[in-house]
Amino acid sequence: MLRRRKRIEEDSEINITPMMDIVFIMLIFFIVTTSFIKETGIDPSRPEAETARRAERGNILIAVSPNDQIWMNKGPIELEMVRILMESAHSENPESSVVVVADELASTGLVIDIMDQIRLSGISKVSLSAKEK
Amino acid sequence: MRRRFTKKQEASEINITPMLDIVFIMLIFFIVTTSFVKEISIDVNRPTKSPIKEQKKSEVISVRISSEGQIFIQDRLINLDAVRANIESNLALKPQASVVVVSDREADAGFLVKVIDQSRLAGASNVSIAAQK
Repeated sequence: MLRRRKRIEEDSEINITPMMDIVFIMLIFFIVTTSFIKETGIDPSRPEAETARRAERGNILIAVSPNDQIWMNKGPIELEMVRILMESAHSENPESSVVVVADELASTGLVIDIMDQIRLSGISKVSLSAKEK
Repeated sequence: MRRRFTKKQEASEINITPMLDIVFIMLIFFIVTTSFVKEISIDVNRPTKSPIKEQKKSEVISVRISSEGQIFIQDRLINLDAVRANIESNLALKPQASVVVVSDREADAGFLVKVIDQSRLAGASNVSIAAQK
């Protein structure tokens, strides 16, 4: 009788070591691949381009709406604020590059002004968003 | 003697349940916050306003975009489809030349991206943009 009871108790313990292994591997995978992208708040229609590539480390996003409003971190901002926001974003993540998500109908002058402000904040890698054809 | 041995074995087992809890919470956090969406973009250069070495005019292919979306290469009005061929023939004459897209401030950003895309397709490695004052 005693022996039988002991056996049942032993069986009820599940070996969780393989599960731990899998969970750890998943955890490491997600830690490595995660990148905290702050959404701009709007989704402009991007122009098509054939030479467009995936922006590695394109973590800082700034969007321009069709009616020439600048959006960053889910809110509209002024052109004068771009430089300060870029500087703080750059200091948080020094390896990141900036992607300007300009709407097809946004004016070129504003896009160039934004790129100038980004340059002034000390970020050298700036690219223009597009979608693949 | 036998009893002592089993006691030692029991003590060497660490309770990993709290660690498992923490690992699971971290895993869930990273799964929720991770975003695999990478922005697709084209790289552009913006000439800095600081005094740079004056590029020889012969080494620059300038593409001008008017406010109405007309494209001029060397003061000749051309179609968007012809940009690639024109730049290719210009590059054949001066292989080291870089392309500068001079755009009117009022032109659409989508149009600018298309012109940059076409010049990249033509084989220009260095495409920069500038605004017309």
